[in-house]
Amino acid sequence: MFRLRLTSFRLAIAFACAFFLCTVALFGLVYWQATTWLTTHFDGVVIKRATVIAAMPPDRWISAVQERVNEDPGNLLSAGLFTQDGHRVAGNVATLPFRAADGARGVTIMRIDPDGQHAQRVRAVVLKLSRGEWLIVGRNIQENEEIAEIIGRVLVLGLLPALGLAILAGVLLSIGSRQRIEELTTLAGQIAAGDLHQRLPVVEGDHPYDKLSAIINGMLEHMQSLVGQLANVGNDIAHDLRTPLTRVRTTLERARENSQSVDELRAAADRAIDGLDKSLAIVTALLRIAAIEHGRRTVAFGTVNLTEIVAEAVELYGPMAETRNIRLSANFAANAPVVGDRDLLFEAAANLIDNAVKFTPDNGKVEVTVTSDDGHTVLCVRDTGPGISEEEREAVTRRFYRADKSRRTPGAGLGLSLVSAIAKLHGFRLVIGGGPGCVIEIICPEISG
Amino acid sequence: MSKLLLIEDDEETAVEVVGELTHRGYVVDRAATGPAGIELARAGDHDVLIVDRLLPEIDGLTIIETLRHENKRTPVLVLSALGALDDRIRGLRAGGDDYLTKPFALVELIARIEALLRRPAMSRETRLRVGPLELDLIERTATRSGRKIDLLPREFRLLEYMMRRPDQMVTRAMLFEDVWNYRFVPDSNLVDVHMGKLRHKIDAPGDDPIIQNVRGAGFILRANV
Repeated sequence: MFRLRLTSFRLAIAFACAFFLCTVALFGLVYWQATTWLTTHFDGVVIKRATVIAAMPPDRWISAVQERVNEDPGNLLSAGLFTQDGHRVAGNVATLPFRAADGARGVTIMRIDPDGQHAQRVRAVVLKLSRGEWLIVGRNIQENEEIAEIIGRVLVLGLLPALGLAILAGVLLSIGSRQRIEELTTLAGQIAAGDLHQRLPVVEGDHPYDKLSAIINGMLEHMQSLVGQLANVGNDIAHDLRTPLTRVRTTLERARENSQSVDELRAAADRAIDGLDKSLAIVTALLRIAAIEHGRRTVAFGTVNLTEIVAEAVELYGPMAETRNIRLSANFAANAPVVGDRDLLFEAAANLIDNAVKFTPDNGKVEVTVTSDDGHTVLCVRDTGPGISEEEREAVTRRFYRADKSRRTPGAGLGLSLVSAIAKLHGFRLVIGGGPGCVIEIICPEISG
Repeated sequence: MSKLLLIEDDEETAVEVVGELTHRGYVVDRAATGPAGIELARAGDHDVLIVDRLLPEIDGLTIIETLRHENKRTPVLVLSALGALDDRIRGLRAGGDDYLTKPFALVELIARIEALLRRPAMSRETRLRVGPLELDLIERTATRSGRKIDLLPREFRLLEYMMRRPDQMVTRAMLFEDVWNYRFVPDSNLVDVHMGKLRHKIDAPGDDPIIQNVRGAGFILRANV
């Protein structure tokens, strides 16, 4: 939590610094642009004036220079006339700062005013006149400094509060998100501790946190239902295993106490082994369903003819149905191509028929059909048994569920769960219908491509 | 007297299995780890190897592959606690000859070992004769003492399977795997029903039953009844 707080505060500071640097850079740019413009402007002024004087006849130079100096109440302009070897002849510039005639330069000159000499930064141009004298014309650039000063002041006056504001906003934001995260962390902790009923708050709906919360809530919903199912499955497993195991225990206990002969003991042992086999069959079936649900077999998929597979299953159960005088009739489309795993599909068909035969009373009827229209294939098993009530239809496909009235019928009660798992793995739909008896369909979608 | 090698790391299982096999008259070597198993298999002249799939150090499939690589052709029965779908196929592909999932009944194990010991040679014979039974594999006809028996294709295959293994115990699971080619047993009763129909067809009233039921285990086709 401390780490988190530090991180978000750091983030706020980093944002403030970035903001500060950007602003300074912006002001710098403004300053640079303004002074560049002014300098160009001053250069134009001094060059123009110097050129005007230089173009005059030599006898008017001194008076022209003097005029420039006198006409300047703001001490903005300076001008000077120097002999060829640099002695001052006229004007208010004490010494010639450079001797060259290639445009204006920024220099510091000593300016002679009535109250003495002052140093002044100027843009100046020096021209060599026709008789070898030097003419200097300068324009002071104090405006540049003033602009710099103004900008500096604005920077201080405007930037500092803005900076403060930025930091404040950053801190507030980070506190806000921190609170949100703290809230989420607390809730997540409760969820991790096992309280799956908890949900994360969704406030505005569009904030990234809300989107995240909504997704996590969806996950929780799914988990909760899975855990619920799991709990049921656990109960069912425990119950279905306990029954045969209890029987085994009783058998063994009674045999030990009461058996009069080895044969009696053997008979009891046989019954015990039978009971254990039943328990083991349940465990095996469960493992099998788990393996199918994990879809480890998708690799073996190919196009197979469902009719052939179902016909084999019908053949397998024919004699069984016969012994109980159940009419097992089959009606198949000649060709019913589906994409799937042959063995698993056989297993599904066999289980459906197995269920139908088991739950149909003697002298009943089981009807198996495979229809195929444009690659849309349906396997349907219809029987004249007790059927599955509407409320139970979803439940029977869950692991271990068996309608209560069928508890006395042999079988582990996993048949339909297995079929359901196989159908799901194939992307087929398992539909349990009613009517008289039970109608179960596996609907295979059209084969594409 | 047949000599077997059991490679199994679980002590209790090993004791039970070795005890039962010895009781039945087999000579049994046992190794608890993969490397020890490979050593014993290389040195000994075993008739059947019984190899657990999950072993410390070297797993069962690797043992089989190693031995097969060294041209050791001893039949191998693979034992596995894994009930997963592809395990059997992988076990057989690695060079195993048969595959048994734990927990198994001891009779099932014995039957499988017997089957491996007495694997029928792939004969070119087109007629099978066992006792009064005769099977024409080309005409697909069956007779008992000259009396024609009408069989469905599956019943014919079932009888052929039994006749190739006279006086040998055949379990329901073996029949399901080999005659029906399916790995799962939805209801072991199914095989009994089919077998019942077959027996009804081959035994005329008054005949001695040729195929006998072995309680809690499977069936035996008796050559001399």
